Amino acid sequence: MPHATTLIVLLVLFSAALIAVLVARPNVTETRGGKILAFLVLCFLPILCGAMGVSSEMNRAETTAFCLSCHTMEAYGKSLYIDDPNHIPAAHFQNHRVPADRACYSCHTDYAMFGTLKVKLDGLHHVFIYYFGTPPAPENIKLYKPFSNRECLHCHLGARSFEEGAVHTADPATLPAIKSNTLSCMSSGCHEVVHDIAHLKDAKFWKGSQ
Amino acid sequence: MMSSVNSMEQRLQIAGVLLIMGLVIEAICLLWARPISFVIFVALGGLFLFAGVVTFLFSHVSIPRADD
Repeated sequence: MPHATTLIVLLVLFSAALIAVLVARPNVTETRGGKILAFLVLCFLPILCGAMGVSSEMNRAETTAFCLSCHTMEAYGKSLYIDDPNHIPAAHFQNHRVPADRACYSCHTDYAMFGTLKVKLDGLHHVFIYYFGTPPAPENIKLYKPFSNRECLHCHLGARSFEEGAVHTADPATLPAIKSNTLSCMSSGCHEVVHDIAHLKDAKFWKGSQ
Repeated sequence: MMSSVNSMEQRLQIAGVLLIMGLVIEAICLLWARPISFVIFVALGGLFLFAGVVTFLFSHVSIPRADD
């Protein structure tokens, strides 16, 4: 458990203990000092604890371990270890082109205004389906909408390997098409191999540690 | 006056119990690192914390008159 979470839990328990004292002896609020104490303990501290808790939970919801804690995502987690440089998620994860501890979130967030909030709501939708609906088989999971180049360009735009890449510059129309999202990075013949769950059993895996 | 003080203390106690429940739920959810814990934290813990804070604030603006 991260130290920050431990500290928040300790603050939460400390606040609960203080509230318990006030519940047991409410007459302490008769004095002016007691009223100030009651405000701090019954209003300020719970709001502070709630805000810190939400922040901690939101932060944890962005970790790779969190995403892979659902059984449905196991195969996707395994695909990050496929030993094939053409497998885009695996190559990004293994070479730390994305932070390994936030691999899923780095590519599957929405780099737009309110994008973080939007993907968190999508995440809540996933949780709802997982517990109250019928989760699809891992190989049948589809994105809500086609993967936008914006998510790739968040890192690659301006990079020499992207801007001056031989294939990208072979046709002058290619780069503008990629940047305007009219030509997908994952088009056939380009970076098309992503989370190849169907062929996981035949794949060779990298044995590196996360 | 006495009855209003007692009434206020009673409301503070109710607020306190609601807040303790909310905080206990929050602590459990923070320790239990599963996706469902986030939902429980926001839906249940948040509800108790909100109800507790509102009860506390409400107790200050709605003290019954002594002749009630």
